[in-house]
Amino acid sequence: MPQASTRFRTDEQVDFVVVGSGAAGGIVAKELATRGLKVVVLEQGPRIEPQQFEHDEFKYFFRSAITNNPALQPQTFAPTPNQDAKRGAGMLLYARLVGGGSVHFTANYWRFHEVDFAEATKLGPISGTGFADWPITYAELEPYYTKAEWELGVSGTPGPFDPPRSRPYPLPPLPVKASGVLFERGAKQLGFHPQPTPLAILSQPYQGRNGCQHCGFCLGFGCEHRAKSSTLYTVIPVAEATGRCEIRPNSYVRAVDVDPRSGRATGVIYFDANKVEQRQRARAVVLCANGAETPRLLLMSQSSRYPQGLANSSGLVGKYLMFNGYCSVGGTFERLLNEWKSVAASRMILDFYEADPARGFYGGGGIDARFPGYPFGFALGGIFGSLGPDAPTWGPAYKQLLRDSFSRTMYLAGHTTSLPLATNAVSLDPTLKDAWGLPALRFTYQDHPDDLAMQRFLQSKSQQILDAAGARRTWLEPVQPSTFSVHLLGTCRMGTDRRTSVIDPTHRTHDVPNLFLCDGSSFVTSGRGQPTCTIQALAYRAGERIADFARRGEI
Amino acid sequence: MRASLLHAVRAAASPAPPPWQVLTPEEAADLDAIAAQIIPTDDLPGAREAGAVQFIDHALATWAADQRPALMGGLRDLNREASRRWPESGRFATLPAERQVSLLQAVEGTPFFQGIRFATVAATFADPSWGGNRAKAGWRILGFEDRFLWQAPFGDYDAEG
Repeated sequence: MPQASTRFRTDEQVDFVVVGSGAAGGIVAKELATRGLKVVVLEQGPRIEPQQFEHDEFKYFFRSAITNNPALQPQTFAPTPNQDAKRGAGMLLYARLVGGGSVHFTANYWRFHEVDFAEATKLGPISGTGFADWPITYAELEPYYTKAEWELGVSGTPGPFDPPRSRPYPLPPLPVKASGVLFERGAKQLGFHPQPTPLAILSQPYQGRNGCQHCGFCLGFGCEHRAKSSTLYTVIPVAEATGRCEIRPNSYVRAVDVDPRSGRATGVIYFDANKVEQRQRARAVVLCANGAETPRLLLMSQSSRYPQGLANSSGLVGKYLMFNGYCSVGGTFERLLNEWKSVAASRMILDFYEADPARGFYGGGGIDARFPGYPFGFALGGIFGSLGPDAPTWGPAYKQLLRDSFSRTMYLAGHTTSLPLATNAVSLDPTLKDAWGLPALRFTYQDHPDDLAMQRFLQSKSQQILDAAGARRTWLEPVQPSTFSVHLLGTCRMGTDRRTSVIDPTHRTHDVPNLFLCDGSSFVTSGRGQPTCTIQALAYRAGERIADFARRGEI
Repeated sequence: MRASLLHAVRAAASPAPPPWQVLTPEEAADLDAIAAQIIPTDDLPGAREAGAVQFIDHALATWAADQRPALMGGLRDLNREASRRWPESGRFATLPAERQVSLLQAVEGTPFFQGIRFATVAATFADPSWGGNRAKAGWRILGFEDRFLWQAPFGDYDAEG
């Protein structure tokens, strides 16, 4: 139950406006408010409390109950900038409610490894790409990974390839599923090293929240038990309890307001719940609106002072959009797995995390054993659980296959790197508008051939593992060019050189001293998958830095 | 949502099909026959028993109203093709099963068929509050139990360790 909250007037100059209340925004708000700063968090989505969450697939996946609705916020897509972008041809999907992606994510939680921050130094540049090192190291971020795990509640056991850690996981792993037992059997036979999947889901009671009840509806749904460690019921209530933080939902920011003489941010302009335009004054602004909406907001904030968009002297706002590769191999077994119960994935291998030039392409990744399906999605086929490209899709054989397979199927999912290409980008559509009259998001994306090669490589290993585990039947999901993603990365990259980056290593934009940003857009490289863990570590570090700047008068 | 739920409750309770909101009786019969070929009835209920036509009718009256012209156009084309192939026969619903199946196979790749397949699968397996999946018939086909509360071990392989 949300306590009686602080409310700020829009004409009061608060210390910070934070745009977005998700995986990053919730943490940044809490780090600022607990250090004495007054914060208004503007969230475009509604506030839904855990007891209101539902397990209705149709409502959540096909009626956009808690995600961006293409009917109201359409997007256009083309593979490259010189092709016509078409409405509905692709989608960058994100959670749209207080708590953001941390409410509905699968909660897989992988730290980056040391190599992820310094791989360009290790391997050399990759021509035609923006492949580069981060300006920070794993060692600098490690304390914040640890802080995220302990403060939010993460369950796991380190595996043999894990990066160094200063503390163990706060909670033991979730129980192994049938898919995990079979995966271990097959993986060990082939000499790989299976480990439990780290999950931002409580395996037992922690900080007054219950442990997981194994309902089976993690991906795409909110957790009514509060066992999935969302910012909604962890850091956000802590921020609110300071009396210095207001979460203002149904507030869709359309521009960062700027003083044309000083070039500094003065607050934000947003549409309230009644679509009436409001201005919230603030001494500084932090954008945490996700890797699609943060660059879009900067581009929409163009002015005579900043004609190519705010914080965009580099021309890189929106560019270097990266996903993570995702590929899948299905397998059906003789007896019951019942993978539709409990968390999505309980075992994984990171034997292929490192790039290996001997393979002939760049790429690294992990494989986990999972079941992303729900009854309707599974029967429909597609990303929520296909039965294979040759399977019947209607008729008596289809019904029999559904009946035989639903409780006997698992998938091995490969998660990989994506290379940064300047032509993969978020921009503003020149003609299409959303339901608020704002320019629709346009994106272009074409996978680097190495990204697809890495996916096929992991698929081949996955099929070997399933065969070794004794699968009755296996099938590969065809690796297709990407037109859809929920991992939205790289579009306002971090760097020390203002010509080749948007933010500096403290998340301050190079161009505007009192404008910061922290979310998936900050990434320089994509990592191997499960970016929320790194987004949240960055947010803890950014929140602490930004608060220090504020208290020392350095904003 | 509430209207959908009330509609589903009334539909489940009444012995005879309710009056259709949007569909004519002929359209309803044709859609029922198509749905019954997509997810047939065998020893377990199929799309018909799950209430596919109730789901579709309610959808066309509410959240899918914009899809009505395309759906009705597709149904007209289907019946036109049936008359072309078998001039002596009546509407799709009255055709013998083998002819129904061969006609659907011919239109498998069309947006019309894909749309009806989507609706039939939703009608059978989605949450009953949308008007279908009556008596959780669809979930029984899959072996899914909507308990949302489980404990390890979950299946056979983790039980045996």
